[in-house]
Amino acid sequence: MKTFQNKRGLRGICILLALLLITSMAMSACIGKKEDTGAPSKGIADDGEGTGATSDPDEDKGPKITGPTLDEIKERGYIIMGLDDTFAPMGFRDKQNNLVGFDVDLAKEVFKRAGIELKLQPIDWTMKETELNTGKIDVIWNGYTITPGRKEQVDFTKPYLSNKQIIVTMAGSGVEKREDLIGKKVAIQSESSAIDAVMAYPDIVEQFDGGEPVLFATNDKALIDLEVGRSDAVVGDEVYVKYYIKQKGESKYKIAEEDFGDEEYGIGFRKTNGDLLKLVDDIIDEMRADGSYDEVCSRWF
Amino acid sequence: MSYILSILPALTSGLKITFEVFIVTLVFSIPLGLIVAIGRISKINIINRTVQLYILIMRGTPLLLQLVVVFFGFPFIGIVLERNTSALLTFVLNYAAYFAEIFRGGIESIDVGQYEGAAVLGLSKIRTFRRIILPQVIKRVLPPVGNEVITLVKDTSLVYIVGLGELLRAGEIASNRDASLTPLLVVGVYYLIIIGVFTEIFKRLEKRHSYYQ
Repeated sequence: MKTFQNKRGLRGICILLALLLITSMAMSACIGKKEDTGAPSKGIADDGEGTGATSDPDEDKGPKITGPTLDEIKERGYIIMGLDDTFAPMGFRDKQNNLVGFDVDLAKEVFKRAGIELKLQPIDWTMKETELNTGKIDVIWNGYTITPGRKEQVDFTKPYLSNKQIIVTMAGSGVEKREDLIGKKVAIQSESSAIDAVMAYPDIVEQFDGGEPVLFATNDKALIDLEVGRSDAVVGDEVYVKYYIKQKGESKYKIAEEDFGDEEYGIGFRKTNGDLLKLVDDIIDEMRADGSYDEVCSRWF
Repeated sequence: MSYILSILPALTSGLKITFEVFIVTLVFSIPLGLIVAIGRISKINIINRTVQLYILIMRGTPLLLQLVVVFFGFPFIGIVLERNTSALLTFVLNYAAYFAEIFRGGIESIDVGQYEGAAVLGLSKIRTFRRIILPQVIKRVLPPVGNEVITLVKDTSLVYIVGLGELLRAGEIASNRDASLTPLLVVGVYYLIIIGVFTEIFKRLEKRHSYYQ
C-alpha cells in the first residue's frame, strides 16, 4: 500500500514540475531577455552590440511595449516621470523630503508649458527601462546618459546637457592622464555609463590593480572608498563628482586633466511615443531660445 | 547632532512605508499561513499537492524576484496592480508560505495522545483543534514566528525595487546627497530599536506561554 502511494506521489510531482517548467518558459518569453538586472557586464555587452538600431517597435527585441500614447496622456491630464531619487543634483530629495534637482526643475517647466500635469515617481535605477516599457512611467529624466545600448530600448530627445566621465583622485596623487591609472585601484558606480566609458580603453583597464574596476552601488560609496584610501581613483559623472567634492572641500581632491570622454544626457521615451518626444524637444528648444534654460542651469550649477 | 536631527523627518517618512509593509504583511500572512498549513496537512491529495507547490514556489524563489515578477510581469497575463498593492500582495503570499511551514511543524509536533484524550472526552474535531491543539501550537511556534517577524522587518527594504521609498532607501538618498555615511548609521539604529522592541515582545509572550516550566 505504501509503495503504491509513493509511486503515484512521484508521478504527481513530475507532472506538476513539468507544468511549472512550461509556465515559466512561457513567462520568460513574455518578459524577455533585455531586463536591466544590475549585472555590470550587461551594460558592456549592450554597448558592444550597438548598431544604431532604428526605433522599430515591431521588431521582436524583447518585451512588448505597453503604455499610454500622447493623446491618452493628454486626456488623462498627467504624465509620470521616473527618477532615481538618490541622484544628486539632477533629481533627488532635500532634507524636507521634497523632490528637487536640475532635471526636476527643467521637467516642471517643460510640462507646465505643455499643459500636462507632472507626476514624479521614484523608481529603482536598474529597472528604469522596464518601468518605461511597461507603462508604469512615461519618461526617464534623471541624468540619463545617451548610449547605443540604451538606444535599443528607448528613444532619446536631443541632448540637453553635456557631461563628462572624469577621473578624480585625492590631492597630490599626480594622476593627470588615463594611463596614470595603470596599477591603480579604480572605483566606479555599477550600471553607470562610466563603466561603458572606461571599457572603451580595455588595455588600460586590464592594467588596473585587480584587472578591472571596483564596483559600487552608488557614486558616493565609490568616493568614500577613495577618501579612506582603499581606492586610488574614481571615474564618474562630472556633474555628480563636482557636486560631491564641493560639499567635502574641493581642495582635498584633484580632477585629472584627461577624462574618459564626453557624454550627453537625454530624456528617454518609449519607442511608441514619438509625438511626445518631439513635443518635449520643441519645448526645450523654446526654453533655450528665451533664456529660461540658462536660468535653471544657474540655479543648480 | 543637528545634522542628524535635520535628516530625521525624511528618514521617518521612509519608516512609515516600512511599517505599512510590515504591519499589513503580518496581519494577512499569519492567518493565511495557518490556512495554508491546514491545507498542507490535509489528507485530500489535490489540496495537499497544490499547497506544496505554492510553498515551493514562494520559498524557492528570491523575494526580490517575486516583487519584480508581480509588479512588472503580471500585467502581461492581465493582472495590473499599483506599486503598493503589488508589493503588499507579494509579501503576504511569500511570508504566508514560511508561516505555513512553521505552523505545520508546530501542529505535527503535538503528540497523538492529545488527540486521543480529546476523542475520549468526546470533543469534536474543530473543538479539539481550537481548544486543545492550537493553544499548544502557539506555545511551540513562538520562537520561529518571532524569527520570521524580525526577518520581515528587514525584508521590507526590498520594496525599493518597485520604487517605494522605505527606510533604508531614505537613508541611501540622504547619504548620496550629503556625501556622508551618518544617515545609514541612523537607519541602522532605527532598525535596531524596532527589532529590539520586538525581541522584548516575543520574550514576554514566550514567558507568558511557558506555563508548564
